[in-house]
Amino acid sequence: MSACIEIRGLSKVFASGKRRVVALADMGLEVADGEFVCLLGPSGCGKTTVLRIIAGLEPATGGEVLVHGKKVESAGPERGMVFQEFALFPWRTVRRNIEFGLEIRGVSEKARHELSSGLIELVGLKGFEDAHPDELSGGMRQRVGIARALANEPTVLLMDEPFGSLDAQTRNLMQKELLRIWSATRKTVLFVTHSVDEAVFLADRIVVMTARPGKVREIIPVSLPRPRDRTSAEFIAVRGRVLAELDEEFEKAREKELSPD
Amino acid sequence: MPRSSVLLARVKDAVVANWVKLVLGLVSVSIFIASWAIASLYLSESGSSLSPFVPGPKLVAEAFLSSFVDSVPGLTGIRMGDMIASSMIRIFWGFLLAMLVALPMGLAMGSFKTLESMGKPLVEVFRPIPPLAWVPVFLMVFKSFWGPIGIVFLGVFFPILLNVIFGVKSVDQRLVDAARTLGAKRSAVFTKVVMPAIVPYMMTGIKVGLGVGWMCIVAAEMMPIQSGTGVGYYVWLSADYSRYDFMYATMLVIGLLSILTTGVAELIEKRVSRWMGIR
Repeated sequence: MSACIEIRGLSKVFASGKRRVVALADMGLEVADGEFVCLLGPSGCGKTTVLRIIAGLEPATGGEVLVHGKKVESAGPERGMVFQEFALFPWRTVRRNIEFGLEIRGVSEKARHELSSGLIELVGLKGFEDAHPDELSGGMRQRVGIARALANEPTVLLMDEPFGSLDAQTRNLMQKELLRIWSATRKTVLFVTHSVDEAVFLADRIVVMTARPGKVREIIPVSLPRPRDRTSAEFIAVRGRVLAELDEEFEKAREKELSPD
Repeated sequence: MPRSSVLLARVKDAVVANWVKLVLGLVSVSIFIASWAIASLYLSESGSSLSPFVPGPKLVAEAFLSSFVDSVPGLTGIRMGDMIASSMIRIFWGFLLAMLVALPMGLAMGSFKTLESMGKPLVEVFRPIPPLAWVPVFLMVFKSFWGPIGIVFLGVFFPILLNVIFGVKSVDQRLVDAARTLGAKRSAVFTKVVMPAIVPYMMTGIKVGLGVGWMCIVAAEMMPIQSGTGVGYYVWLSADYSRYDFMYATMLVIGLLSILTTGVAELIEKRVSRWMGIR
C-alpha cells in the first residue's frame, strides 16, 4: 500500500492582534491508500485544523501536506470534505446539491443526472431527489453531504465530526452506513471525532492527538473484523486503551485552561 | 385521533381564527367610518369653518368613483386612471434604475473591503438626507418626468444597496468552504453561492424601498412646478380647487396602490423562496 496522505512537520499558529495560539506543532502522519483513520483528541487540539489544512481551506504555518505526492496548495475536488453542520446549499434540491461539483467541472446534464442517480441510490436517498435540505432529517442531510463529496470521485474523504450533531441512534446507523459506502467505494477516509466509541467502531487506526499544541501522541491500530460488536470484550479492551491515552490529554488540557498564561 | 382528523381540526382552527380576525378588523373600520360621518355632520350643522375640510364618507366615496370617470369638477380630461398610470410609470423607472445601480454596487462593496471603505463615507453622507430635499433641484434640472423618477431612485436606492451589502457579508462561510472543496474557484463561489444567498436580503430591500418609493413620488409630484400628472399632482390639484372630497379619494387611492405593490412584492418573494427551497 502506498501513502495517500503524508503530513510532515505540520504547524499552525493562529494570530489575532497580540494573541498567538499555537494550534499544531510539528505534527506528522501517514495515511495509506484505502485506509480508514480516525483523528481523536481533546477539544481544541487542532483535529479540525489538520483536516482544513489537508482540504486546502487553511494555509499551514510550517511543514507540508502531500496528497498522492502532490503538495497541497489550495482546495481541490480530489479531496472531498464532509462537514459537521452539513453545509448543504439550502436553495438546491438533494439532486442539485449532489451535482454541484459536477456542474463546476462542466459535466453534461445527462451525465450529471446519471452520476447523481447512482449516488442517491448508494446513500439511500431514493425518493428524496427533489426535496430541499430543510425538509430532511439530520441523518438524511448528512447522507446528502457524503454523496455530494463523493460526486467528484475524490481519492480522499475528509470528514469533520460528520455525525456530531446527530442523535445517538441516528449516529450508530450512519456509522454502519458509512462503512457500507466506504467498502463499496474504497476511498481513503480521514475522520475527525471526539467520540472514542465512534473511532473504535470505524477506524483501521486511531490517531490520538495531544492537547494544544496538537501533535500525534499515539497511534492505535484496531484489527477487529467488521462489523464490530460494541459489546464484545475485544472492542471494550481497545476502547479502554484509547480512553486511557485520551484521559491523560484531557487532564493536561484542563490544567492548561486553569493556569494563566 | 387519526392523522386526517387532526389535520381537519387544524384547518378548522385556522379558518375560525381568520374569521375572528376579519370580524375584528371590520369592527374597527366601521367604528372609524361612523365617527368620521358623525364628526363631518356635526361640523356642517354647527356651521364650523372646518366643515369644508371634513367631507363625509359618502361624499368621498362618490368622489372616489367619479374620479375614475372625470376629473375635479371644473376640469375635464384629467382622470384618476391616467394619474395612477403616470405615477406607476415613474415608480417603475425609479425602481428599475435603483436596482440596476444598487445591486452591482452592493455586490462589489460587500465583496471587496477596499471598495467598501471607499464607498462607505459617501453612503453615510448621502443616506440620511431625505430624498425630498432633492425635489427642488431635481425638478428644475430633470423636469417633470425624470425629476420625480430621480426622487424615487434615491428613496429606493439606499435600502437595496445596504441590504445587498449586508447580504453578501452574511453569506455562510461554511457554504463557501463547501463550495471550494467541491472545486469552485472565486467566480463560481460568487455565482453559485453568493448570488443565490443574497436573494432574500435583496427582497427585503425591495419591500422597504417600495414603501419609501410611494412616499417620494407623491411628494415629488405635488411640488408647485407643474408636474401635470400623477396621483400626488391630483391631491394638490383637488385641494387647489377646494374639492377635499376628491383629495381624500386620491389619498385613499395612494394607500391602496401602496398595499397593492407591496402585496405583489411579497407574492414574488414567496414564490422565489419556495422555488429556492428557503422558507
